[in-house]
Amino acid sequence: MMPTAVLDANLKVRDLVIEYSSGGYPVRPIDGLSLDASAGELVLLLGASGCGKTTLLSVLAAILTPTSGSVNVAGVEVVGLRGSALTDYRRSTVGVVFQAFNLVPSLNAVENVMVPLRGAGVGRKIAKERAKALLERVDLSDRMTHRPGDMSGGQQQRVAIARSLAHNPPVVLADEPTAHLDYIQVEGVLKLIRELAEDGRLIVVATHDERLIPLADRVVSMTPRAEPTAREPVRLELETGDVVFRQGDPGDLVFVVEEGEIEIFRTRDDRSEETVAVVEAGNYFGELAPMFGLQRSASARARKRSLLTGYGLRDFRDRFDISGPKVLTDAAD
Amino acid sequence: MLFVSLRDLEWRRRRFLIGVVATGLVFALAVVLTGISQSFINEVSRTANAFEADQWIVSEKALGPFTATTMLNANLVDTVRKDPGVSGASPVLITRFPVQGNSLRDSGVIGVVPHGLGVPEVVDGRTIERSGEALADRSMHRGVGKTFSIGGVQFVIVGRTKGVSYFAGQPTVFLTLDDAQKLTVAGQPLASAIVVHGTVTRPPANTHALSNADVIKDLKRPLKAASGTIDILRVLLWIVAAGIIGSILYVQAIERTRDFAVFKATGVGGRALAVGLAFQAIVLAILAAIVAIGLSFLLAPLMPMPVETPASGFILLLVVSVVIGVLASLFGLRRAISVDPALAFGGA
Repeated sequence: MMPTAVLDANLKVRDLVIEYSSGGYPVRPIDGLSLDASAGELVLLLGASGCGKTTLLSVLAAILTPTSGSVNVAGVEVVGLRGSALTDYRRSTVGVVFQAFNLVPSLNAVENVMVPLRGAGVGRKIAKERAKALLERVDLSDRMTHRPGDMSGGQQQRVAIARSLAHNPPVVLADEPTAHLDYIQVEGVLKLIRELAEDGRLIVVATHDERLIPLADRVVSMTPRAEPTAREPVRLELETGDVVFRQGDPGDLVFVVEEGEIEIFRTRDDRSEETVAVVEAGNYFGELAPMFGLQRSASARARKRSLLTGYGLRDFRDRFDISGPKVLTDAAD
Repeated sequence: MLFVSLRDLEWRRRRFLIGVVATGLVFALAVVLTGISQSFINEVSRTANAFEADQWIVSEKALGPFTATTMLNANLVDTVRKDPGVSGASPVLITRFPVQGNSLRDSGVIGVVPHGLGVPEVVDGRTIERSGEALADRSMHRGVGKTFSIGGVQFVIVGRTKGVSYFAGQPTVFLTLDDAQKLTVAGQPLASAIVVHGTVTRPPANTHALSNADVIKDLKRPLKAASGTIDILRVLLWIVAAGIIGSILYVQAIERTRDFAVFKATGVGGRALAVGLAFQAIVLAILAAIVAIGLSFLLAPLMPMPVETPASGFILLLVVSVVIGVLASLFGLRRAISVDPALAFGGA
């Protein structure tokens, strides 16, 4: 029988910022995130592709170093871990279930679960016994000597879960655990993940699959909801050089240029600027971010004294024919 | 973690076996070259020692009896025999001729005094007694009772010697001194050297005494370039073997990038990964070395030159193969260690 995790499995994330370069442009998928979760909870990081769920998991797994902010997992300050402390953390504090299972194809189920144990210097016999116990725990007693290629996706995912529990970590991170499974396989895996939390662990699951919401004790939406919102129009009077919004900002309004000219530009990694478009009076810009819950992919500033009106998405749709003149500034390319 | 490496080798066994055979063949060629190079050294010593000489008296301008073009008077042997330090002496005439046996082949031709010093041990048949008789080395592949001719003169093989060859496997025939003098110097009483038992206290005028070691050194000299070439080829073959192992391991490391990322993400240290890859390289290299030892025994008889691989050559092969394995795995190691564990995340 697998021992229950009894360690401090609390999670504290404060003011987390993650920025990296993508195609020559700085991308900031996570900007100022704070999050708390406790032992025994199942936390769902919910959002569309590219919203930063997996990036956040990578930080929690001490695989990616954030740009700023602090992360405390089970009492361990994760940011700044190095050398053996880093290895110990990855080994003992967090277990990771990867999206594509990531089992070693040449190893059978028992051997795959043994890998983290043997890598930590656990004796062969003890590692094998522990691996077998874990596989029994995930109902794979009859698949212990099967290689990944001889198992279904659900069975492979259960082997991956067993592997993540090899060192009995207080925290388990799961990246899209249902992504490669059919609905029959999903059921067993979800049940298992829920049970892991009941053992006293903190389970953090990154997913875009909303079917998992009922399982969760806490849902962290990584993507602003793209609901058309009703709000009063906002009028902006801008002097030359005034900024309307910046690249990476959350987007909630669509702007119509009443007078003047707005320059849409992107900032590169080297801080140089690249003009994407110039929006003249009578045109609008910035509709994609609120429409799809994305961050602004470019900045906007006045090239001359200008007058803008900002509309909520619903209001904008009611007032304007979207097939008319426009500048798609959030995906200007 | 070695079990992961072993399982991986099993998993990719076809490529692994190709690697073992290819590397084994390269190793085998290196072993055969080692054997050829060693045979140069062995035959020189064997041939010089076959005369059982303590000293060799040669013309003062000669560096050695086998390479000398200047000769001395064979009758000086009487003077040498009178030297108080000498217990026995015989003249020998050492030269080379194309010998027509099974085929026309350049051979060493040595004239000796029947029952005198310098007559080698006979392994088949009997020693030479009179004119027209000859001893032939086994490397000539001509049996007792057969004949061969030198410059149209026929000789009957009455006995055979073993391992008496020089200048990279050239076989040697022994004739009577008189016959050799007739063939070489129109019957004049000339000799290349006087073989001595004992120590000459005072060599005759215009001569000097060489030790057996001096003669061996002189006999090796013409082979220096060939030995050097073989050594270079051997090193190149080690490099080729390292290249084969290295490329197999490197491709393997590329293919296993995701595995390494997962290992790292789950807390397996870089050292364990490095040891695992090095282990694979060493297993491959040692198996290739074992294959090479077997192959070298098959290849040796096919070589026109003698191949005499010493036992130390096989031991050296195993040691070198381990070193090559480790060195060859370095590129793969570097790649495995530098894998970003973040690669473990993301889709298939």
